[in-house]
Formats: sequence, structure tokens, C-alpha cells
Amino acid sequence: MDQYSLDMLFQSLADPTRRAVIGRLGRGAASVGDLAAPFSMALPSFMKHVHMLEAAGLIRTRKEGRVRYCEIDEARLAVVGSWLEEQRAIWESRTDRLERFVQEKQKEQER
Amino acid sequence: MNFRPETDLEITRVIKAPRSAVWQAWTNPDQFAQWWIPAPAMCRVVNMDVRPGGALLTEMSEDGGAFGPHMDACYLAVEEGRKLVLTNALSGGWRPAASPFMTAIITLDDHDQGTTYRAHVLHKDEETRAWHEEMGFFDGWGTVAAQLAALVERQ
Repeated sequence: MDQYSLDMLFQSLADPTRRAVIGRLGRGAASVGDLAAPFSMALPSFMKHVHMLEAAGLIRTRKEGRVRYCEIDEARLAVVGSWLEEQRAIWESRTDRLERFVQEKQKEQER
Repeated sequence: MNFRPETDLEITRVIKAPRSAVWQAWTNPDQFAQWWIPAPAMCRVVNMDVRPGGALLTEMSEDGGAFGPHMDACYLAVEEGRKLVLTNALSGGWRPAASPFMTAIITLDDHDQGTTYRAHVLHKDEETRAWHEEMGFFDGWGTVAAQLAALVERQ
């Protein structure tokens, strides 16, 4: 998995609504309507959360007639590990970017 | 050192550039904005006042559209060119923050090849506990940390 998709994975979990959706899906597949019910937000706003989870590969969705169902991708979720590991990955990638930035700037100056 | 493995993390890296260059990347707002957040998301530094009690306030845009809050922190200690301590337990001017969870200690030391960069990041207990409670019903949750560590190290 590349750094970008790893960042996306963690960004998608850095939100309580999305974590609650993952939590609910841990008990089995559910329709978007059922998933949205506990939240006091408009459906389009809720769909943004669903799309982000889908883009990160954490959930899959499929349409049956007029109803869209979501289910969890457990292999992908297993990558996450723990909250501390999430923080570690954020700081590792932050440090990668700092290192790249500083070294590139250094090369520019030497030219 | 005050290191608690359940909640803290430390990253040490030799960066092939002088200490002053790494310091600039952390303390010049234009430079900071270029690496703090992963592309394609964009970072905007709203306030960077590098002195004890000064604010570090950044905003993020996921797609180049509207910017939303990202980091609201306060510098606790500043040793020019060598050390920065910041926390999101406070906002600028020592004001208590809404949802604190971390203190970061960034240290720079001279190295033959450039700079030894160290980030020691301390977290509070509740954050890790809440995460595990939310996710607790998944089998094997919390036993896969090593997988991720290996994954990150391979990159």
C-alpha cells in the first residue's frame, strides 16, 4: 500500500461519524438508510462520509434495486491496528515529507 | 526520558541537510505549509508565533475548496535551532483547548551527514482507550499493530 492510500485510510477514520459507521458495519452489512438513521445530518452530508470510507477501501457498497447496501472490508481494516499506530503512521509520513522537502530545498541552494 | 510505550511514539531520522534548514521548515510558515499535510490536501498556516505561549494554527482543504480546521496548538518551549515543544492541550496565549490529546517534542542535533531529527509525541490515555472501545468488538483488534508498523517501515 502506498503512502497516499495509507494516509487516506487514516484520514477516513479520523472522524467520529465514520468510525461509528465502521462500528455499525462490524455487526454486518446495512443499507445506507439504516446507517444514516442515528445521525442528525442530511443524507447528502452522510453520503460524503460513505463515499470517503468507500474511496479509502474500508467499505464496499452495492445496489439492490433502489437500496444501496454497505459492508466492511475487513482485510483493509486490519491494517489500521490501533489509535497509536495511526498516530505513528501520521508522524512517519509527516517526517518523510519534511525530510524530502528539506533535502530538495538543500539541493536547490547548492545548484 | 519520560517515555510511555502504551501512549507515546518516537521517530528518529537522520536528515541530510543542516540543522538550520530543518529548523526553517518547522518555523517558516510558507515552508511548513508545504510538507505538514499530505498532497493533494492543502495546508494554510493561519498563525505561527514561534515562542512559548505562541499559537500554531493551521487549516486544511481536502480538495482545494473550502479550508477547515486542522491543527490548533501552542508552543510550550522554543530553543532556537534545536528544540520545539508544542501541544494541542492549549491554543495560542495559553488558552485551554477543546479536545487535547498530544504534546510533541521536536529536537534537532548535529550529525556528520546533516541533522538528527527526533519527534517524541506524547498522548493521553483516554484517546487510545476510546478508540479500542469503539472498535473493541472486532476479533483480533489491537493485535495487528505490528502489521502496520512493518508496512510503514517498508516504504
